[in-house]
Amino acid sequence: MGANLVNLNVNPCKMCMPMGAVTAFSGIQGCMSILHGSQGCATYIRRHMATHYNEPVDIASSSLSEQGTVFGGEENLLKGLKNLIHLYHPEVIGVATTCLAETIGEDIHRIIDRFHSENPEEKVKIIRVASAGYSGTQYEGFFRALRGLVEQLAENARKGDYINVITSMISPADTRWLKSCLRDVGLDFILLPDLSESLDGEYSREYRRLKTTGTSADDIARMGGARLTIEIADYISEEYSPAAYLEEAFGVPFLRISLPTGIESTDAFHAALRSAGGSIPDEFIRERGRYLDAMVDAHKFCAEARVAVFGEPDFVHAVIKLCCEIGAVPVVVATGSLCPDLITGLEDIVKEAAARLFVETVVLRDDADFDQIEAWCKETGANLLIGSSDGRRIAEKLSLPLIRCAFPIHDHIGGQRVRIMGYDGSHFLLEGIANAMIDHTHATYRREIAEKYLADEVSSKASEIALADRFIDTREIARKTETHPCYSCSSCGTHARMHLPIAPKCNIQCNYCVRKFDCPNESRPGVTTEVLKPREAFEKFKTVKAQFPNLSVVGIAGPGDALANFAETREALEMIRGYDPDITFCLSTNGLMLPFYAEELIRLGVTHVTVTMNTIDPDIGAKIYHHVDYMGTRLEGVAGAAVLLANQMTGIRMLAEKGIVVKVNCVAMKGVNDEHLYDVTKRAQELGAFITNIMPHIAVIGSAFEGLEKLNNKELEKLRSSCEVNIQQMRHCRQCRADAIGTLDEDLSIQFRTSSGNPDKSDSKVFRRIAAASKSGMIVDLHFGQAEEFYIYESDGRSTSFIEKRRVDKYCTGAQECDEHDNKMERILKAIADCEVVLALRIGDAPRKRLERMGILPVTTYDMVESAVLTAVQKI
Amino acid sequence: MREREELLDKYTAKVYKNRKQHITQLEFGAEPDTITANTRAIPGTMTARGCCYAGCKGVVVGPLKDVAVITHGPIGCAFYSWGTRRNKAKNDPESDNKNFVPYSLCTDMRPTDIVFGGEKKLEKAIEEVIDIFHPKCIMICSTCPIGLIGDDVQAVAKRTEAQYGIKTIGFSCEGYKGVSQSAGHHIANNGLMRYIIGTGDKKPVGKFTVNLLGEYNIGADGWEEERILKRCGIDVVSVFTGDGSYETLQNAHLADLNLVMCHRSINYVAEMMKTKYGMDWIKVNFIGVGATCKSLRMIGKYFDDPELIARIESVIAEETESIREDMENYKAKLKGKTAGIFVGGSRAHHYQLLLRDLGMETIMAGYEFAHRDDYEGSAIRPFIKSDADTKNIEEITVEPDPEKYRTRYPEEMLVSLQKDGVELDAYTGMIPDMIKGSMVVDDYNFLEVDQLGKIMKPDIIFSGIKDKYSTMKDGIGSRQLHSYDYSGPYSGFRGAVIFARDVAMSIYTPTWRLVKAPWKNTPLLTGTISGGEKHA
Repeated sequence: MGANLVNLNVNPCKMCMPMGAVTAFSGIQGCMSILHGSQGCATYIRRHMATHYNEPVDIASSSLSEQGTVFGGEENLLKGLKNLIHLYHPEVIGVATTCLAETIGEDIHRIIDRFHSENPEEKVKIIRVASAGYSGTQYEGFFRALRGLVEQLAENARKGDYINVITSMISPADTRWLKSCLRDVGLDFILLPDLSESLDGEYSREYRRLKTTGTSADDIARMGGARLTIEIADYISEEYSPAAYLEEAFGVPFLRISLPTGIESTDAFHAALRSAGGSIPDEFIRERGRYLDAMVDAHKFCAEARVAVFGEPDFVHAVIKLCCEIGAVPVVVATGSLCPDLITGLEDIVKEAAARLFVETVVLRDDADFDQIEAWCKETGANLLIGSSDGRRIAEKLSLPLIRCAFPIHDHIGGQRVRIMGYDGSHFLLEGIANAMIDHTHATYRREIAEKYLADEVSSKASEIALADRFIDTREIARKTETHPCYSCSSCGTHARMHLPIAPKCNIQCNYCVRKFDCPNESRPGVTTEVLKPREAFEKFKTVKAQFPNLSVVGIAGPGDALANFAETREALEMIRGYDPDITFCLSTNGLMLPFYAEELIRLGVTHVTVTMNTIDPDIGAKIYHHVDYMGTRLEGVAGAAVLLANQMTGIRMLAEKGIVVKVNCVAMKGVNDEHLYDVTKRAQELGAFITNIMPHIAVIGSAFEGLEKLNNKELEKLRSSCEVNIQQMRHCRQCRADAIGTLDEDLSIQFRTSSGNPDKSDSKVFRRIAAASKSGMIVDLHFGQAEEFYIYESDGRSTSFIEKRRVDKYCTGAQECDEHDNKMERILKAIADCEVVLALRIGDAPRKRLERMGILPVTTYDMVESAVLTAVQKI
Repeated sequence: MREREELLDKYTAKVYKNRKQHITQLEFGAEPDTITANTRAIPGTMTARGCCYAGCKGVVVGPLKDVAVITHGPIGCAFYSWGTRRNKAKNDPESDNKNFVPYSLCTDMRPTDIVFGGEKKLEKAIEEVIDIFHPKCIMICSTCPIGLIGDDVQAVAKRTEAQYGIKTIGFSCEGYKGVSQSAGHHIANNGLMRYIIGTGDKKPVGKFTVNLLGEYNIGADGWEEERILKRCGIDVVSVFTGDGSYETLQNAHLADLNLVMCHRSINYVAEMMKTKYGMDWIKVNFIGVGATCKSLRMIGKYFDDPELIARIESVIAEETESIREDMENYKAKLKGKTAGIFVGGSRAHHYQLLLRDLGMETIMAGYEFAHRDDYEGSAIRPFIKSDADTKNIEEITVEPDPEKYRTRYPEEMLVSLQKDGVELDAYTGMIPDMIKGSMVVDDYNFLEVDQLGKIMKPDIIFSGIKDKYSTMKDGIGSRQLHSYDYSGPYSGFRGAVIFARDVAMSIYTPTWRLVKAPWKNTPLLTGTISGGEKHA
């Protein structure tokens, strides 16, 4: 969305000042904070802090209402202070203003003075912070509160042998580390603020509302007497720097250092402690050594990382420094705060890290939002995100790992215990980065290596494919998918396929199927198919291949289920593979036995599998499947469906995981599963299927569903479109026969009806030619005027034979095309001019007359094509 | 009663005087139990309430998935209301898969905008929103500074709508308005009524069609409800507003009946639609197995169709049977346990019925931002005094629409339906469903919830994230009823089982045994003398 769009923030990468202010106050002993404004600010902030820290967070509000905006909020604030004091007895109260208070121009200083003069007995210290939400982010709010504390509490104390340590917003766990570190080097110190216990408390039987931990007001008062201030923050302006104030007001010199993350910054931190008079214990040196050792161990993995870091300026600085040290390349460096210094401060080291590994594009930006960060991640090819949990949306969208280590963390627990400081804390980031890269490699390297190096080798040696169960060659599969007419629309006219009818048995009974015909939806049929023995199938393959060099696919599509006839399937495929190493093997199944044979199918070199999965709900399944024959038992109803569905899904997942291209066929049955197909296709996608093919149910006479209304094309298209959000939809399915040969548009199987492979030259003495208007090729199911193609048969009244399929333009597709009405009618008539009979579901009056005039007998019927043809011929 | 006094004990005289009107211990005596509600929170008492903006943007309009909602103001408000409600929305091909729920859009105002006004920036932001998202509708939600600096979001909306031809609605829901989120609900309801409902003409196809009002689809509650309604043969035209859309809201007036879930946040729409379009509404509750059955039966009675009634009965029979065993198992674990519920505006009532299904009793309950009718029922309405804060929120008056007004039944029929137990055009409130001695606390605050845990000693408290951790530190189970702690759905039949599982898991976690330190198991001398822990 880019830099020129500057008026809209899309998904903020920052919060507001009151958030920072109350966080700072949480680190002060006996302190309660109150936000002067409308109560939503307190509620929202409590909600966000509680989620991150997994602790109760008490923030009061002056609950300003509309009246307050007109007459000022003074009375509300005074009331609020009184109630807060009465109920909580705090020692310190932090009053932070909000947008509302600042916009109406509340004079907090005066209100607090009035409070003290009206309540002289109250000893509570009230600290004011001007923290309008529109004036800065939580980063600035945090320091403004600290500055307020120091300005309003620090005194010109007697000089003592202690130092001040002031930090930017760090986690309670890092604070605990910092404190123990300062103790270990033997320094007397005052830490501001100290969130170590207040936002990561231990379990106690009684919850204490008032924090007894944190920096005390007395300690802050003494800060003016320290001999040195160490301020751990890089980008705070002098105006709001507590250390700068202490120097200006009390002459306390200060050192400003970065968050001690990574080697250099942690070294600098230790150096600062040494210069402050601390003695570095041996344990620190050992810790440093261990971290160095870990860097050496991890450097190979870290070099893979292209990191996007986002968050508060100091955090970003710390993480970027570490990344550059360990050899990771920060490709996106972003903060939501306005902080140009961060960019200039990091530009050199980031560019150097990028140049080292020939990375060309890096983005460093302040005032950024997540929408921009997402775009930059794509642009730079980032492979890892580091920051708050708000990065999860990008992580999900771009499938990137996210290391959550900055405020706020809302979708994990443990935000309060994140450690990134010190050699010890640096391990967390170092290992997080390295392990993210290793995990990525684990998940992908086999495929990548196979794609790069094994593709040619595999395709050149047939026997190796048959045994290649270790590497599934995805590039090869992709190539095969492109030349597979059923999967690739572009190849459906150029590449031929051949279905081998070697699988007569079936192991389930679908209610839409009559077993005396072939499976009507796995494959189309109706006409008698010859069932071949594996050896015959192999011979037929050789014949066809010799005539059609563009034959790219051999499939097994019934007439029963390929896996219910597995011995035959295996035998045929092995023979063909031995003869033609390049041919694509494809197979369709109801999936019942898939989990048993998936591995073996892969070994046989089957790369494309179609599973007919009509439902994922056993209750619906019970309506579709009459029974399932499984392991020697006949299961009916829900029990049978449950086994079938579970095996289908397991099988699909097993194949998809190995890189096999799985097509899921869904037979859409109106009122049975049509509304459920959205869920089915969604599950198919989740299981790893490549495409789904939603086919209209064809009502077979004699089947349990023979009376079921068929989905019309419009409904079908709507269904496919609605499922398209889940997974790619196949739209060019022709519902082919189990023994189809040729391209999808041109079935030549008739020529190969016997294994001799010679075209069937039948006698033409009493044969009559008949045209059938049929969509499926199985039933006469089309209106004459809507027929796109006619199935042409010849029959002598005793037997029938299929001649060819003829395509015509339909002539009544919609009002807008009615101008061409006549023209198209002519074309239809022309297409069937040589026939004596035409069979259709309906024929209008006008065309009926035209047909009769042409000497063609119009017959309206709704029957199987074969039997309709016979009936019609017998009538003549 | 004793517990109430104990709870109020800690307050100063002034605060005591105020809070005692908001805290009732139910007596069910000769005089009806009453309560004060919907008045200002006391500053400094850590109220659980949010602001007007939260009610408008966060609750009501935020879930509309095809609407680009722009927060006009500083960044904080936009950040804090970003994805915090768990209102789920699925991409919907019917609305071009437009789903802006995962986004937070903001004008990110800076000091200069406060000084010189933000209208220009807002206009440009709208232009950018249109460029980037191509939404069907844009809504602008104002934050505190907007009203103060005089930005006129309605005028901007009008201008940009005229310029780009995209429906644009400005909401003046500045945080300081009213006394709680409730003001924001009202403002949002007015906007939906004025600009969206009734602008569509897509007639619903089903035989029995309803709108689901006040269902925000937290943790997929709405989807479970729609599943059940669909099984019964009832089609949902629009949902206000969980997984809802501008597209469907436009046609809401063409449905047969309004079902109201969250009474507090959406009753204005139900009532205005009754006046303008003659549509009846029923207060339903799909939280709880018994409550769900009752709600379905009321719908059946309303439509008065034997086939529908038969289908509803068969769905109820099948669904209850499918969860019977699970529910019995959990009930065996949970029977006799007690609970406290402190949530926004309606859930504190709804969940009592689900708990009762599990043999649990609610001994204390409270609303953050309810009005008296949510406690005492619609009958109390005429007696509610209107104060300055309420008067500041616009009441819009609607007239019967000359073309679209249609009534299903004559008045006598409605009266007879009401007599027959159909909760038509009215709400009975929470109190009648509670038992004697229970505490009812309006505008509960952090301290009171903490105290109540100690005084009433429930086994579990249902509340929000703000109270969750202190409750657990008191050794009491907790479950968030705003976000369900990432669980859900809790509605309908399947949801009831999930809820039962979650409650049982909270009460029976082995952690409770471990967090009691061994030395606490030995009675201490001081403890026995002072009468237990509650004064400690």
